[in-house]
Amino acid sequence: MIELDVTTDRGIAVVVPRGRLNMVAARQLRQVLADIITGGTSRIVVDLAETTFLDSSGLGALIGGLKSARQAGGDLRIARPTPEVMTVFTLTNMDKVLRPRDDVGSAFDV
Amino acid sequence: MSETRPDGDADGAALRLDLPAAPEALDDVHDQLDLVWERHDDVSVADRFRFLTAVMEILGNVAEHAYRPDVRAPQRRLELVVTVTADELVATISDNGVPVSLDLSTVTMPDEDAESGRGLALALAALDDLDYERSGDRNRWRLQCVRRD
Repeated sequence: MIELDVTTDRGIAVVVPRGRLNMVAARQLRQVLADIITGGTSRIVVDLAETTFLDSSGLGALIGGLKSARQAGGDLRIARPTPEVMTVFTLTNMDKVLRPRDDVGSAFDV
Repeated sequence: MSETRPDGDADGAALRLDLPAAPEALDDVHDQLDLVWERHDDVSVADRFRFLTAVMEILGNVAEHAYRPDVRAPQRRLELVVTVTADELVATISDNGVPVSLDLSTVTMPDEDAESGRGLALALAALDDLDYERSGDRNRWRLQCVRRD
């Protein structure tokens, strides 16, 4: 029930999860993020504009990717969550660690 | 597979599902809840999402933690019943797994770099009330969202 599109441009990988980031999809996201970092790209933007649902497993996958990216000298940033998905970040106090960006293209500008 | 009945069944449930206690069943529940909101379009998006979040977290918890490894998948079953009233959304989830040894009053959000362990804390944060009881040979969770808007 999820599509995970990955594009890489100028050293930044953009991951677009389309659909529900639930327990089953989180396993796929974990693998995709690990593959990106193993492949040598450690700056990742996860574009959540088309993510219709996020649970604690999906959040865990994002945090795992964030830690791995930072260990590799990069970072993981999230962009464009819907208000509903954003509530998951605020309810878990993760909005400070994974501060949402308004735009994918400029997510690594600051 | 799952079984569903229309609104206004004998118990007034908006949704009643008997389904495998497995992560793969979560999408099925999600689909069925979307159909519930079509019939109850006065439930706000914010209330739907809070409720959905909590239901998914408790179902995920049951699927991951309620069964000994030697219990084969076909024996792992749970029942979900959802009721919608003018004041609240309520789900009861019962499963045939092992008793949960857990004090809900001690559940807290883990450290920010933890990659797991947020499920119950998130459900508690999303809900107005969460109860657990062992009833006979079943676990029974009751989730309540008071409608806010």
